[in-house]
Amino acid sequence: MNIKVNGKMIEIFSGARVADVLRKYSMISWKQVQNGTKMVCDGHGHEIAHDGELNGGEALCVKIAGKRRAGK
Amino acid sequence: MKRGKRFRIAWFLPLLLLAGLACFSCASLPRAPEEARVVILHFNDVHGKIDNFAKVAARIDAERRGGADVLLLCAGDNFTGNPIIDQYQPPGEPMLELLNRLGVDLLTPGNHEFDFGLENLKRFAARVRFPIVSANIHPQPGSEIPNMTPSRLLTTRSGVRVAVFGLIQIEPGNGLPSTHPDRVRGLNFSEPLKKALEMKPLRRGADVLLALSHMGFEDDVKLAKSMPELDAIIGGHSHTRVDPAETVNGVLVAQAGSDLRYLGRVELLVRGGRVVEKKGGLIDVKELKDEDPEVKAMIERFNDNPAFSRVIVTASFAITGKDALGCLMTDAMRAAHGLDVAFQNEGGIRLRRLNEDITIKDVYTLDPFGNEVIEIAMNAGEMRSLIRDSFLKGNEIDLQVSGLSYTVRTDGELRIQGIDLRGPDGAALAEDRDFRVGLSSYVASSYEFKHRDPGRSLAATTAEALIRFLEGKPDLSIYRGIRRAFQDPPGRNDRY
Repeated sequence: MNIKVNGKMIEIFSGARVADVLRKYSMISWKQVQNGTKMVCDGHGHEIAHDGELNGGEALCVKIAGKRRAGK
Repeated sequence: MKRGKRFRIAWFLPLLLLAGLACFSCASLPRAPEEARVVILHFNDVHGKIDNFAKVAARIDAERRGGADVLLLCAGDNFTGNPIIDQYQPPGEPMLELLNRLGVDLLTPGNHEFDFGLENLKRFAARVRFPIVSANIHPQPGSEIPNMTPSRLLTTRSGVRVAVFGLIQIEPGNGLPSTHPDRVRGLNFSEPLKKALEMKPLRRGADVLLALSHMGFEDDVKLAKSMPELDAIIGGHSHTRVDPAETVNGVLVAQAGSDLRYLGRVELLVRGGRVVEKKGGLIDVKELKDEDPEVKAMIERFNDNPAFSRVIVTASFAITGKDALGCLMTDAMRAAHGLDVAFQNEGGIRLRRLNEDITIKDVYTLDPFGNEVIEIAMNAGEMRSLIRDSFLKGNEIDLQVSGLSYTVRTDGELRIQGIDLRGPDGAALAEDRDFRVGLSSYVASSYEFKHRDPGRSLAATTAEALIRFLEGKPDLSIYRGIRRAFQDPPGRNDRY
């Protein structure tokens, strides 16, 4: 299946999770996401967990981790 | 004013009786209130991460005590992701007891609800004290899931009628949810977005129409765009933290991340039989202080799982070294999934030694990452490309293997001169055929190698493969001094 990460098309096995796609996209980005300096969002800008399941055709973006809004 | 109200009641009474005849479940319902506030608490993709349930239970009870019309919905994937809970016997028991204790009103199955097999899901469904909904799971005769219907009409304490239908994702390739096909044998699945449109008539008998979805946020947005009749979509699958809930085409789309880190809260103001205001967001569970002591005790009991210390098999000697352990792990991957060849990177082998009594805990200590088995069709040249990349990572052997052996020939500067592949019989591996190769998801995603087939997840972890293999009581004596990956001439860190 194909997943777009920061505009770059990544071809990966079907059933891949967010972590798999990130590793294939860039090991540096994956490590930054792991250590919390960057975060992963879906195509709508919502944060998505590393073990999130994906369907083909989705888009992800890796960006600098901002401060979260406080929970209720 | 009172007279007018009585008149309205008298006028509507025959209609209500007719409606009651048409819909048994509506017959005993209180009349829908003029105005009511409905709170929908929801969670998804817990994956056996039970530790936050005590806080969540306390918050749910507080909401219920507050007098609002509260519904608690679960958007699927309760199983798989926490070995201590996954190994419980019978499978899924902790989640079953906790969901019953919380007083869930409705659940839709996710793809991981099938991880312990259809028969186990049927047992689970028969024992939960709440209904299950899925409109696009179609059991064949004999495979019916107890208590499961396409939709349900729930009635809140004050009489608001909430129609909910369930949906599960399917993969475009095989039309099945993301699980091993064997686990859903006996079930048919239809395309969820198309099926959802057939649920529009539910709107007529309800004040609120909800989709309880395990399709992922992206598909939930597509559903919202195609079905404005919906008031809200309560979602799961993609582990998306949607805070605040998003409004798409007038439909509120919500999802509460994963692992019970958040509890979703959607609030609907219903007036005159329709939703006039809606909003949603997430409650960060780590900010909650109160815990339900009874639920906390349940969690402690489940976390002290005796099955985790169960001895799977007793070897006649301790299996030591990455070569032997790597051969064992790759043999397990190959045997569990009927593969020709399997590879495992040394970084994924986290023990140096397996003692004679091998327990479930040992397996998860040896292989703790939850990597899944990925099947890829590869020929000899593509396997050489994989081995080449692995060797270049540290100029030494990295990949352990089953189904073949290999030698990386290098010159004095450790430049690769060639890679020889031999089959189990010692003969050179056939160059002109494809092999079914198994890789851990880490290797498949982080190693750079040529392959025409993108591959597919077999929806089972490498650790699960090892447990299955060891439960078959294999001859473990072959792992004494075994080696299948060589460097010629031997490298500086060569263990031989």
